[in-house]
Formats: sequence, structure tokens, C-alpha cells
Amino acid sequence: MRLLLAEDDLDLVAILKKDLETAGYAVDVADNGIDAEYLGNEAIYDVAVLDLGLPRRNGIEVLNNWRAKGNNLPVVVLTARNAWHERVEGLKVGADDYLGKPFHVEELLARLTALLHRTSQQPGGTLRVCNMVLDEERQNVTTTDGLSHKLTGTEFRLLRYLLLHPGKVLSKSELTDHIYDQDSDKDSNIIEVYIRRLRKLMGNDCIETRRGQGYVFRDH
Amino acid sequence: MRSLQSKLGYGLTLSLIAVFTVLWFLVSLNIQYLAEEYIASRLRHDAEMLLSTIHFDKAGNLGMDESTIDLVYSKPFSGHYYFITSGNQTMSSRSLWDQQLGSVLVKAGDQISNYQDGPDNQLLLVISNGFIKQGYPLSVTVAEDLNPVKRNIRQFQTRFAITAIVMLLLLVVLQALILRHSMKSLSRIHEELQSLQQGEANQLNADAPTELRPLVNEINHLLVVMEQRLRRSRDALGDLAHAVKRPLTIIQQLTDKNRNALPADLNAGLVRQVTEINQLTDRILKRARLAGHGHSSARFSFLHDLPQLIETLDIIYNDKSIANQVDFPEEANCPIDREDMLELLGNLLDNAYKWANKRVNITVAINPELTICIEDDGPGTDPNRFEQLDKRGVRLDETKKGYGFGLSIASDIVREYSGTLLFSTSNTLGGFRVDITLPIEGVFINPKDK
Repeated sequence: MRLLLAEDDLDLVAILKKDLETAGYAVDVADNGIDAEYLGNEAIYDVAVLDLGLPRRNGIEVLNNWRAKGNNLPVVVLTARNAWHERVEGLKVGADDYLGKPFHVEELLARLTALLHRTSQQPGGTLRVCNMVLDEERQNVTTTDGLSHKLTGTEFRLLRYLLLHPGKVLSKSELTDHIYDQDSDKDSNIIEVYIRRLRKLMGNDCIETRRGQGYVFRDH
Repeated sequence: MRSLQSKLGYGLTLSLIAVFTVLWFLVSLNIQYLAEEYIASRLRHDAEMLLSTIHFDKAGNLGMDESTIDLVYSKPFSGHYYFITSGNQTMSSRSLWDQQLGSVLVKAGDQISNYQDGPDNQLLLVISNGFIKQGYPLSVTVAEDLNPVKRNIRQFQTRFAITAIVMLLLLVVLQALILRHSMKSLSRIHEELQSLQQGEANQLNADAPTELRPLVNEINHLLVVMEQRLRRSRDALGDLAHAVKRPLTIIQQLTDKNRNALPADLNAGLVRQVTEINQLTDRILKRARLAGHGHSSARFSFLHDLPQLIETLDIIYNDKSIANQVDFPEEANCPIDREDMLELLGNLLDNAYKWANKRVNITVAINPELTICIEDDGPGTDPNRFEQLDKRGVRLDETKKGYGFGLSIASDIVREYSGTLLFSTSNTLGGFRVDITLPIEGVFINPKDK
């Protein structure tokens, strides 16, 4: 999952980025409103964490501009101003969730997971597709045979993305966009390596290859 | 102070009554004077006419040629009389019949006039003149009844009084109309002030009469200044919150992260302090943000703002899917600052959503105070603690973390609006129940309807 973190407090960014990456997000950072708006309009992000007190262009304005352009990027709003009228304001212009500062990282992660499940119409606490259960907190997968497998960071990101988009054709470049941040070395061949590893774990039927198009995760 | 309109009305009516009364008196006195003066001058002519008919014979006997005298002096008690004396001889008009006029001897060339009671209850104006004719001194007294003239004067006075009263009434009505017309601009300003109080307008119409324009301009100026000051202080407080929360967020993240590296009691102490600083800043900032009564910035609308607030809560608590039932009267827009009301309801509903299992009910009524009841189907609170919850807001250091914190902010807001906050157990849902009562009567009801 590619995440846009729009926050100008570099100390907080340093901590959050590490935590988010550990939780399986590819994180890009924007430290001002103008950059945040620009990056958010690139169609590569699955979710954004948006601080309302951004310099140069405030968060409400950024969010307003995104929504005006028809950009439906799921957004969790972060704000130090815990006034209720601001929460109402934020959600009115199109925020999907809200978190007041200071907060615990666990709460942010829980809200992000819930938001991603909601946007891909996968309600409930755990991702469950064709008898396979992905534990997003522990980053392991329980396959049809009842065995639990520990996943590496990239395996987890890839599998989670596939599970959140079942039945859709996903190209290699789309997959790289969504599981690596902008500073990573993007080699699309590496996707093939990870797909092979996942197939080994869950059997060949789960991930279908469409020649020239990409991969489809079978949801039945 | 009594209203300007009635003050002016009373003043004008009283002065009109005074003017008309004085006028009536002056006119009556003058008419009476003129009438008597007229009669007196006629009597003097009559006296001269009588003198011309009088003659003395050689023996000095008084004689008179009665054929040339006006007939009115011959008719008994006609009201016109004469009486002539010369030495010890007297002659009187036939109209006097057997009566006599009290007469005095008047020196030649002198004249005396007085009033006497005559026959038939007549009031006589009596004039005696002294003459010398053919060398004999004589005095001629003539008299006329004043009653017919007096009757006419009384008739005139009545007619004059009636006319004056009718004119007085007309003038009073007329000036009331003029007053009402000139006061119309005042009542327009009155209406504007009301819509200002209810938050429907945020400025007065500057098109006021010249006398009132400085007042209207000054009020408008103050409104702008107040609005700016509130906005500025709210912005500054927001910035302060932002500035304080940044380091707090970092410390919180660091303590979270180093949970295992730091000694447990040190970590717990840090977490406690951070939470406390956070809540104290929140509470103080929120209290400082309150607009309170008598400010004309945007007002809360149950129709527009409440659904948005509930939608917000639904999103924040989307993992619980709480069903809510909201009842509020059609016209329930209240004269309370929008941000204050959102903060009040936000904190209370947040508490309700936090503890509810499935349901939250909100009931709003106006009777004539604004009452809001929020109930949930959560575990509720021990009734012994209700009182304690309310008192939480009294001293800051009593405010402990989590539960009750939102309630103490709510109680600050309610106190600012001199309302009451009551905690109890919900009868219908079985959980916690909060009743808010806010007095809005003075602002809400049109003073004219009282």
C-alpha cells in the first residue's frame, strides 16, 4: 500500500515513517501543502495521512482541491486543533477519518487498516479471501491447509494489495507503484520473483497470469 | 424609561389642552366685555335722546315729550328702563311699572355705572348721567337687562368649547399619526437588532435617520471589531494548540516506542504527564475559545449542523455502526454560537458513542428553554457518581484522563450560557443520559409578543 504522509513536523515524520513502513506501507512524505496536493493527484496512492496545519497551503484547502478534481483518495486527517467544528469541517470537505494529536501510532494504523478495508469493500477486522486469512498486524497468512506462514515485508505488501483488489487485472508497474515508495529501486522483474514465492505458499491457482497485462488474484 | 413615542404623545396632548383652555377663557372674557361695552354705549345714546325730550316749564316743572320715546320703554318689564330725577321731581319709564331704580344724584358731566337686580329676576346694567338743562340740574338713569346677552354669550361659549374639543381631538390624532410615522425608522432598527441577536444578520442597515446614524455606525463598527477580535483570538489559540501539540505528539511517540527501553515507572510517568498537559491545554483553549452569549457570528442550526455532526461521529465510530434517533422541532435554530454548540454536542455525543452498544437517541425541544437530551444504551454510570461528574469541571486538577473529560468541557460551555447539565440513567435505553437546559427565552421570543 502506497501512503502519502503530508506532515511538516520532521521529527514526527521520522518516527511515523518508520512505523508505517514496518506496518507494510510504502511511504512518501510531503512537508508542505502545495507538494502534498500535487503528489496526492498522482494516481499511485492508496491512502493519505494529511495534517491540517501544513505550511503554504492548509490541509482543508488541499483536501478541498483534491475532491473538487474528483480525486477520491482515502484521507485520514491529522490535526492538533481538536475542536469539533474543525472535525465536522474536515469531514464535510471529504476526509474519511480523523485523528487528533497527540495520538498513538497503533490507533493510526488501526484506522488506516479499517479505512483501506472500507474503500475496497472488505468489511471486518481481517482480510479473508478464498479461505485464506491475512493477519495484518502480525504480517502472516493462514492458508487453506490451516498453516500459518510468516511473510517478509515485500511479500506482505504484495499479498495485501492483491487481497484488497481481488478479481482485478493488476499490471506489474501498478504493483510496483503501490508497494514501493518513490526512493526505492524499482525493478519490475522483482515482482515476478515475489509472485512466484506467494504461489509457492498458497498454490498456483490463486494468482493467475494474464500475458501482457499482469496478474489477477482469484477471489473464489 | 418610558417610550419616546408615548412621552412625546403625552407632552403634545397636554400642551394642546392647556393652549385651548387659555384660548377659551380669553375669548369668553373678551366677548362679555365687548357686549357690555356695546350695551353701555347704546344706553348713553338713549340717555342723550331722553335728555332731548325733557323740558322745564316756566315754573320749573319737569316735563317730557313721550311721543318720541322708543316703545320699548312703555312695555312693562321690557328690560329697558329709565328714571329721571331733578331736585325732588322724578319721572320713570312706564316699563318700570311700580318698581324703582336705585339712583343717585350725579353731578353734571359725571357718569356712574353699576349692576342692579331688576324686576322679573333681571340683571340690569345701570348708567346714571348728570346734566344741566335750561339751568336745572338733573340726572338721567337708564338701564337694560343683561340676561338675553348673557344667554347668547353662554351659547357662544358652549359652541366654542365644542369646536375646540373637536379640533383638539383631531390634532391629537394627527400628531399621533405623525409620531408613529417618524418612529417607523426606530421600529425598523428594533427589528434589525432582533435579527442581529438571532444571528440572521451580522450588521445593521446603515440607512438610518440622521439622528440615529452615529449610533448605528458605532454598533456596526463594534460588531466588526468583536468579530475580528474573536476570530483573531481563536486563530491565535489554534496556533498555540498546534505549537504545543507538536512536541507532545513527539514525546508520546517516543514513549510509545521506548516502552521496553525505559524503566516502566518512568515511562508511565511520562505518559501520564503528556496526557495531562494535553488535556489541560485542550480544556483551557476550548474554554478560551467560547464565544458565549451576545455575539452575532454564525449560529447553530439543528437542521444543517446536527446531521453533519452525527455523520462525523458515524465516521469516527464506523467500527461500531451505532443507530441513532434524532428528534428536533422544525424551527429549532438556536441563538447559540455554532462552534460553541458543535463543541458542546460533539463532546457529549462522542461520550455517548464511545459507550453505546447499538443506539444513541437525541431529543431537542423548546419549551421555552432549549432542552437537549442525549441517551445511549451503554453501561451507564453508578448513580452515586452523577454529582461528582458535574463537579469535575470545578477544578482543573480534578480532571482525570479519558472518561469525564469531554463532560467537563461540556459543562464549561453550558455554564458559559448559564444553563444546566444533568446526568442520569436513561429509562428507555438503560445507559447514560445527559439533559442540557439552555435559557434562550430572552433572545428567542419577540419582545413584542410578551
